[in-house]
Amino acid sequence: MSAPALECRALSVRYGRFTAVDGFTYAFQAGGLYAVIGPNGAGKTTLMNVMVGGKRPDAGSVWLGGADVTDAGVAQRARLGLGRSFQISKIFAGMTVFENLRLAAQALAFPLQPLWRPASAYRQIADRARAMLGTVGLERYAELPADKLSHGDQRALELGLALMTEPRVLLLDEPLAGVGHHDLPAAIDRLARLAEGRTVLLIEHNMSAVMRLAETVLVMVNGALIASGPPDQVRQDPAVRSAYLGVES
Amino acid sequence: MRNAAGLAILATLLAAPLLGLGSERLLLMNLVLVYAIFALGYDLAFGVTGLLSLGHAAMFGVGGYALANLTMRLHWPFELALLAGGVLAAGLAMVMAGVALRLTGVFFSLTTLALGQLCYIIASSRAKGLTGGYDGLSGVGRPVLFGLDFNDDRLFLYYNAVIFLVLLGVAGRLRSSPFGQVLAGIRLNAPRIEQLGFRPGRYQVAIFAISGFYAGISGGLLASLLFYVSPQTMNWTTSGDVLIMSILGGVGTLFGPVLGVGLFEILRDQLERVTDRWYGLLGLIFVAMTILAPGGVVGLARSLHRRLRPAAP
Repeated sequence: MSAPALECRALSVRYGRFTAVDGFTYAFQAGGLYAVIGPNGAGKTTLMNVMVGGKRPDAGSVWLGGADVTDAGVAQRARLGLGRSFQISKIFAGMTVFENLRLAAQALAFPLQPLWRPASAYRQIADRARAMLGTVGLERYAELPADKLSHGDQRALELGLALMTEPRVLLLDEPLAGVGHHDLPAAIDRLARLAEGRTVLLIEHNMSAVMRLAETVLVMVNGALIASGPPDQVRQDPAVRSAYLGVES
Repeated sequence: MRNAAGLAILATLLAAPLLGLGSERLLLMNLVLVYAIFALGYDLAFGVTGLLSLGHAAMFGVGGYALANLTMRLHWPFELALLAGGVLAAGLAMVMAGVALRLTGVFFSLTTLALGQLCYIIASSRAKGLTGGYDGLSGVGRPVLFGLDFNDDRLFLYYNAVIFLVLLGVAGRLRSSPFGQVLAGIRLNAPRIEQLGFRPGRYQVAIFAISGFYAGISGGLLASLLFYVSPQTMNWTTSGDVLIMSILGGVGTLFGPVLGVGLFEILRDQLERVTDRWYGLLGLIFVAMTILAPGGVVGLARSLHRRLRPAAP
């Protein structure tokens, strides 16, 4: 059996006396679409930060495709195929939408970034950027400064930037946050489409989207994983109903 | 517009020595060119990458001392000594960045200030054998190339102009290259750049070194222009001057810092004639500019251009 795409082993993160992540252990299998849910302060974003290498765990380890990457930094894990989108869009506000994606395309295109010819002279990165514009539905905004996009379109660009590194494992932190009611069905469809062929883990508060998208739902409360399984099973789990939904079993 | 600005600068440089300018004006133009090289490099770190350095005077001074020592004591050819000064300054910049980049934001800037002042103190009192202490080193020479004696300020203006134009071209190329795009990305959103798989620290050290090289070349040319180098060139005020020049002209633009140097030096020249307190007046002008035209001269020109441009039908 092949190694899990991403594995957390007994991860713990503490801030003083507060435990943000408490002995989190889980193996994410290749090709799966997972959602982590839990009330605010449950440790979901901290867990994601540990997975991508932005935060060192106080205990435990992170494995990517069977290799221990606990000591690897964000950039190294990104190069190993771990992509991430942020809860608050992190785009290049002073550049156009196309330039945002072209810059992202450079990461894979050049082992050493060229110093002499203009970036606009490299067709391969321009082509990839243009293709991604289509994938995330931003073709008509290509020449617009990225900060002039609507919130929903900035979320789409955020997703596009994360995808440009061709991640095998993609972590999405609230990809639907702030997306308007009208745009939601299209955004959910886009997420489902983009998840094909890769392992996706998303943190999301929109429960209908989670239940529609995820094959496996993980429930975190107070930093600990209290339940995991298919959406219907998790919804009926007495511990989840009690701790998360506030329903007495 | 960018091409027009470039052509205007080029035409001024080529024509100036032919206009029968007096020695004071020639010195001023030479100073503008030399500091413009400094500002070009400074903006690669500050304007493009977002690294606000307050220690660049150290690299500027190292270039001057290297040229003075290598030509006067070791009798190296001028160009080789100038280049060596740039390389030494780049090395110092790498060390400075390596230490200061452990911190971010204002703490990064303060660390560069502290390291720069450390170099100033070393040059002033601890390395007298190499620097001449507070007295500095006088008698620095000018280049002699193809039988041309550049002791003539008019000819030296062409010499500086050629170096300036070469380094202007390199800076322009660098900015628009994929490498330059990553630098801009670091300034705009470092966490995203890292998440894309780039290591910001490596790029920051590299551009700081390139910026230090520019400072070193500029410092060497200043020592040669004035026939003298003193530790004062390494004081924090020099770093402050280049920062003010960049902001006056337009941070993050290719020609902005160059225009800022011209404006700064002309203002200094004119204000010095009026009052001893010219630095204070210059400070007031700087404050007014940052409030009224935060984009500097280039920003002002761009907004005027936008207003005057006829609206699209």
